[in-house]
Amino acid sequence: MRAQPGEYFLQGNEACVEGAIVAGVRFFAGYPITPSTEIAEGLARRLTGTDGIFLQMEDEIACISAVIGASWGGAKSMTATSGPGFSLMQEAIGYAAMSETPIVIVNVMRGGPSTGQPTRASQGDVMQTKWGSHGDYQVIAFAPASVQEMFDLTVEAFNYAEKYRVPAFLLSDAEVGHMRGPLTIPDKIRIVNRKEKGVKRSDEAYDISDELVHPFPVFGRGNKTMITGMTHAEDSRIEPEDPGIHQELVKRLSEKVLVNRKDINKWDVMCPGSKTMVVSYGAASLGAMEVAAQDDRIGLLRLKTIWPFPEEPVAEIASQCDRMLVCEMNLGQLYGDIKRVALEAGCRKVELLSKIGGDPPTPNEVRHKLREMGAI
Amino acid sequence: MELFDFYRKDRWPHVFCPGCGNGTVMNCFYRAFNDLGLSLDRTAFVGGIGCSSRIPLYINSDALHTTHGRAIAFATGLKLASPELKVVVFTGDGDLGAIGGNHFINGCRRNLDMTVICINNNIYGMTGGQASITTPHDFMSTTTPSGNKEYPFDLAEIAVAAGANYVARWTTRQVHELTKSIKTALQKKGFAFVEIVSQCPINFGRRNKMADPTQLLDWFKESSVRRDKARAAAVDHVDLNLAGQITVGEFVDRNRESYQELIGVVKHG
Amino acid sequence: MKPVVDPKLCKGCNICVYICPKKCYSRGAEISDMGYFDAVVDAHEKCYNHNRSGKLLCELCILSCPDQAISWHPETEEEQSR
Repeated sequence: MRAQPGEYFLQGNEACVEGAIVAGVRFFAGYPITPSTEIAEGLARRLTGTDGIFLQMEDEIACISAVIGASWGGAKSMTATSGPGFSLMQEAIGYAAMSETPIVIVNVMRGGPSTGQPTRASQGDVMQTKWGSHGDYQVIAFAPASVQEMFDLTVEAFNYAEKYRVPAFLLSDAEVGHMRGPLTIPDKIRIVNRKEKGVKRSDEAYDISDELVHPFPVFGRGNKTMITGMTHAEDSRIEPEDPGIHQELVKRLSEKVLVNRKDINKWDVMCPGSKTMVVSYGAASLGAMEVAAQDDRIGLLRLKTIWPFPEEPVAEIASQCDRMLVCEMNLGQLYGDIKRVALEAGCRKVELLSKIGGDPPTPNEVRHKLREMGAI
Repeated sequence: MELFDFYRKDRWPHVFCPGCGNGTVMNCFYRAFNDLGLSLDRTAFVGGIGCSSRIPLYINSDALHTTHGRAIAFATGLKLASPELKVVVFTGDGDLGAIGGNHFINGCRRNLDMTVICINNNIYGMTGGQASITTPHDFMSTTTPSGNKEYPFDLAEIAVAAGANYVARWTTRQVHELTKSIKTALQKKGFAFVEIVSQCPINFGRRNKMADPTQLLDWFKESSVRRDKARAAAVDHVDLNLAGQITVGEFVDRNRESYQELIGVVKHG
Repeated sequence: MKPVVDPKLCKGCNICVYICPKKCYSRGAEISDMGYFDAVVDAHEKCYNHNRSGKLLCELCILSCPDQAISWHPETEEEQSR
């Protein structure tokens, strides 16, 4: 059922489908929404007739709820959507965080707010990915910038969802989702499966302490599991009135991700010694990639992990450069945090190239901004 | 198995108010489940948010306490990922028929194997007594201080129209019939829906001159009419289901293909 | 068998008093440790299950009790002879 190792030429969304299958997705619930629909259609073709389940639900809230339910049934599960659907899913995302349910959500970002630009790219949902649901929690989110990364980072989203029992996100956009390009599926791919209660196995997930990430009690194994979105104690007893239990739980939900940033952070650097570094991610980084490839004076820190916020790579690169230019296809969402970390680390100046409307910043637009900054 | 093997004795006394019909439904459900010889290890319970949605947390089994209105959607994923499990949903009138309306009708239409027990107390009880989509016309609630201007849903009739394989409605006054219907529902393939009109003395009864649970039970008894008999009467509008009456009985018992049969996964829990 | 009300569970709702077809229960006048006026079994000999074991004839109180506070207990010889 899974694609054979080899070379392919696919659409970004199609590569995401292949990544999900390689990762072992067994349940997909989706709702049609541009520009993510190809993922639902692809998994409908690939899962139907296997022991996996594809379901088109009545709305996005039903999709994300079914995905969480399926995860408790032991299946690796996923949904794919875009802005308006992503907004609908926020309550359930908070539920997944609170109940520590491993799930994968693909958000192929489009122009917003509201119905916005259904067929054009943006990076407008970046903050929402971490802050979209009420309360304090941490999620893991990856931003692919190529068809290859649509495959690779989908696999990683599953791996990290399983490993840390969190909702994990693939933050794509209409450009990367719809572009066509080369994909190499290697022979060996690292797949991580959740730590299961009552099952001993040699798996990366078992390396994390049980105190930080509790073993996952799959339904139907006689565990008499009680899962709730309310504040709960160790034995899942509802304890909404106890401040101590609430503090312990909510802090652990964040801590289990934050103390493992080193494992979760992924990034690429071009020309690391440059005095001017562009910091970007996803489609917004495409123009800067070309600039950095052609001009030694300009480097690029391309973030692949967006959440948890990648403090360490930003600080490290910032400590070695004078200027940073953040490129985003929004009005500046990661800019604030990047600027804060970079200035603290010794970088002199952090500016923003913000481009909305659907097109990624072109190499010339990046060069123009760099000229304005006095970098070239 | 004994009652307190089925229920988690260490959680008793439960949080429900004195006289709340939830406890009565819990008795009937236990009887039905036990009489059928079903196994708690092969069953999973799902609840939304509300008093009746907490019942799964009192059962000695896997339980998923989800978000408001979405229990059927969660249960759909759980059932399809683990088809050998029997899945039972506990929900309430507001949880199912208001915020959960879309999942309710699509659940009936999809006809996936699950047993849905909707305890309809005609009010939002947990949050203090706000009007729900089954609060009768003119009745008092905290959000209808001059009487409910709206007319209620008839949840069981909606389930019939939406395609559920089994639909029954009883009140907590008819414990034997209720137990029997739950038994039928637990064994039914496809979507089986049992609505139970139940008393909420503190947040519904008290504001409507029926503070004593026995007054509510009397009202149920007097208002109940067998659905087949009531059909003969001409009605102007829907109010407490039919002209001030509660139609009870088995509304439909049919054998539309279950969702698993339609997709070729025939493993009935 | 006779019905017994558990004072740790009864919340004094009196549904048993209302539902029992033989009027075996009455509303209590004494407040329990839990703070409720528990229902009282004051005429268990009227119960359909008096002097019966095995299959019980009526369980309306047990099925109706919202707090699972009622259970069947074997009767003493003296109770059986009432």
